[in-house]
Amino acid sequence: MPIRSLFYFWKEALKSIFHHGWMSIASIAVVAITLLILGSFMVINYNVAILTEDIKEQVQIVLYIDEGAGAEEVNELQALLISHPQMEEVRYVSKEEAMERLKDQLGERAFLLDGYEEEDKNPLRDSYELRTNIPEEVAVIAEEIENYPAVGYLDYGSGVVEPLFQFTGIVRWVGLAFMSGLALTAVFLIAHTIRLTVFIRRKEIMIMKYVGATDWFIRWPFIFEGLLLGLFGALIPVAIIYYAYEIAFLWMETNVYFVNLIPTEEIMAEIMQVLIPLGVVLGVLGSSISVRRFLKV
Amino acid sequence: MIEIYHLYKQYSKDVLALKDLNMVIDRGEFVFLVGASGAGKSTLLKLLLREISPTRGNIKIFGKDVTRLKKREVPLYRRNVGMVFQDCRLLEDRNVFENIAFALRVIGASPREIRKRVPFTLELVGLKNKVFKKPNELSGGEQQRVALARAIVNRPSLVIADEPTGNLDPETSMNIINLLQEINIRGTTVLVATHAKNIVDYYQKRVVVLEKGRLISDQERGVYFNAD
Ligand SMILES: Nc1ncnc2c1ncn2[C@@H]1O[C@H](COP(=O)(O)OP(=O)(O)OP(=O)(O)O)[C@@H](O)[C@H]1O
Ligand SMILES: [Mg+2]
Repeated sequence: MPIRSLFYFWKEALKSIFHHGWMSIASIAVVAITLLILGSFMVINYNVAILTEDIKEQVQIVLYIDEGAGAEEVNELQALLISHPQMEEVRYVSKEEAMERLKDQLGERAFLLDGYEEEDKNPLRDSYELRTNIPEEVAVIAEEIENYPAVGYLDYGSGVVEPLFQFTGIVRWVGLAFMSGLALTAVFLIAHTIRLTVFIRRKEIMIMKYVGATDWFIRWPFIFEGLLLGLFGALIPVAIIYYAYEIAFLWMETNVYFVNLIPTEEIMAEIMQVLIPLGVVLGVLGSSISVRRFLKV
Repeated sequence: MIEIYHLYKQYSKDVLALKDLNMVIDRGEFVFLVGASGAGKSTLLKLLLREISPTRGNIKIFGKDVTRLKKREVPLYRRNVGMVFQDCRLLEDRNVFENIAFALRVIGASPREIRKRVPFTLELVGLKNKVFKKPNELSGGEQQRVALARAIVNRPSLVIADEPTGNLDPETSMNIINLLQEINIRGTTVLVATHAKNIVDYYQKRVVVLEKGRLISDQERGVYFNAD
């Protein structure tokens, strides 16, 4: 299509958006709310995904060896652990090594350990650090291992890891259902707005038909109107999420420093890639429905 | 120019608006289409404009069968046919210039063409001094002249008017018909559906009479036909 027609379509679309301000605002608002919720879920999901990735990479079970166990039993334990099908990593940590680590952790205050360093005074135990290849099943595996020989006791993040995985799963499904409903509402509202435009412009449309405007020439401004409504509806949540995330990021950085959030720019790039095309698609879908149903050309 | 063969239009089981209509209109003719209310005048004009399709029969205009035009061919066909209605159908929120420019813009005309054609056409219909008036600031006759300007701004070969003087007093009506006559003299074929007996009688053009969907009289230099 020629540039001047393109210019004409945009102008007509914009004019009509401003002409029925309230309907436009309602459509934009619903798109914005839908995408704001989607965007928020995405922000949370991405961060939780990174967080759980971290957890997955971390040691999941620490097995402290029973002090009374003989070398034979420990060897047997090691063989069992290594041959366990769900075991990703098995690492032996002697109590001397554990002491070294503790000293590193305490840094300047390592003097607190003075006197405990000699071998027979070391209060720490030899242990195995284990990583399974199914982090979600840590508890089950731990229960199994508990019956192995030479096991003193087990330490695993019981009560933390599984609920976290469960929670993200539920959030994902509820969010998806909720958003589908909202997206439908958005499409419906846009369709309704465009229908109103078609109605208000019926005389113009009639004249256009009489003087020989092509069907697509008549349709385009309405399609563009929907597209713009969707686009505006997407830009609002992008802006809101940007500012909210920036604030959350800074707050977390100063107050909850052990959790590393994804940097703002990185997450915004991800979110814009989804929200803006989605807004446009919702808008065009809504207007196409109306153009098809109410624009008899 | 216009050839109509065995044309029927049936709206519903008991509404047969046109029955076996046959006629030929040559290029450059000026024709009045008369008949009582409900005779089928508007139906015929709508068929000519391809707003509706006939139940049976053929219409050839510019050598093409209008009834067989594909949907996407209709707009291009209409660009060659100017249409004027009793109720003018102007856009109230736009001034005279914009109303006429609209007809060019929506068929993709260039701004240069619009700047050239619109003032020329306004001059032709005698509205040069009303360019920036809105329709509600114009008299009925002036409004109809704007509608006429819009119909001819794209230089169609055929102008169809459905009771263009229906809302006007006799003198203003004459002005409009005079304008149509002028357009006709410049080479455009003109077809006017009307009730106005005095006008038909005055101009002595070809008169085609419909009655209950049938063509009952077709006379050169005719007068308003009264069946009784
Ligand atoms: N869309 C329609 N559906 C059904 N019947 C119709 C329709 N349009 C017209 N008719 C009928 O067809 C017949 C011819 O109508 P038409 O409008 O062509 O008459 P007309 O000669 O233009 O009358 P008028 O002088 O009052 O404008 C009438 O009986 C009318 O009721
Ligand atoms: Mg009529």
